Amino acid sequence: MLMIRHSIGSRLLCQTNRYTIEKKDRHWQISLPVDVETASRILDFQDELNIFEVKENEKIWYYSSDAQINFQSKEKQLVILADHKTVYPTQ
Amino acid sequence: MIELYPAGKRYTVKNDWLESNLGFSFSEYYDSSNIQFGPLRVFNDDTVQPGKGFGIHPHREAEIVSIVLKGQLKHEDNLGNSGIIGHGNIQRISAGTGVLHSEFNASNQEEVQFLQLWFLPNEKKLIPSYEDISYDIEQLHNHLLPVISRISSDRVAKIHQDLTLYLSKLEEKKTVNFRQEEGRKIYVFNIEGEITINNDSILKSRDAARITDTHEITIQGNQDSFFLLIDLPGGEF
Repeated sequence: MLMIRHSIGSRLLCQTNRYTIEKKDRHWQISLPVDVETASRILDFQDELNIFEVKENEKIWYYSSDAQINFQSKEKQLVILADHKTVYPTQ
Repeated sequence: MIELYPAGKRYTVKNDWLESNLGFSFSEYYDSSNIQFGPLRVFNDDTVQPGKGFGIHPHREAEIVSIVLKGQLKHEDNLGNSGIIGHGNIQRISAGTGVLHSEFNASNQEEVQFLQLWFLPNEKKLIPSYEDISYDIEQLHNHLLPVISRISSDRVAKIHQDLTLYLSKLEEKKTVNFRQEEGRKIYVFNIEGEITINNDSILKSRDAARITDTHEITIQGNQDSFFLLIDLPGGEF
């Protein structure tokens, strides 16, 4: 499961099981289909997003420190290029 | 202008281990008209039951201040810091590029009450850091005691923002005056008791005031009271 939260206050902006994460050089490209309304809500806080991949016993925390986030409106696809990744246990 | 925010109008999150009264939008509470006051973005008034707490979670790009009012709060982070703070201590975390930490009630018998404030930093991508200090409780009496500031000392924690946070315990009928440069803002939160600002605005326990365009105030104790005052920068954040 993937969750996108506002880094200040942890407001949940999006939660989905439909996503891909690809390593690209020193970044991680996170792609997910979203509707226009969700994209707008996320882009309002593009400087302040935390992205969590939630697994059974661990969470993986990603963020883009330079707000590299793009909404491809034709494909309704949100693409985030994260430059930070930290894995930590949930217990 | 002095805008009052009564305690009873705060959003409350309550479950079997936590009661959190939120001064600003946070987590499930979102009000686009109540996001922040200057760089002050979070003001949570938390009570955590014995032995319970917040497991490992990350922060970034925030200056996080915890002020324990009652009981003891245990902190651990991935920077190698761990410790227990109580009344008389101030904890500051500069999350910067990212920190993982946990916060638990250190006691298995007594609840812990603490205020947690988040401020926007005046600089991004800071190296994460942690500090806790002890202030002299005796110095709170009828005096505004600085405990967090841009300029730090042994008993004043450093914060990466142009602000100073003061604590004060005011006896009944006593007053303190505060003056700041024009263009700045003042935030007052009455922790306990009852105070009046400028002979006009009454703050009961847990009430807050957001003050703009008024740069000199007098605070009177209507009864023995404990409050905090934050001298904040003006402008847009």
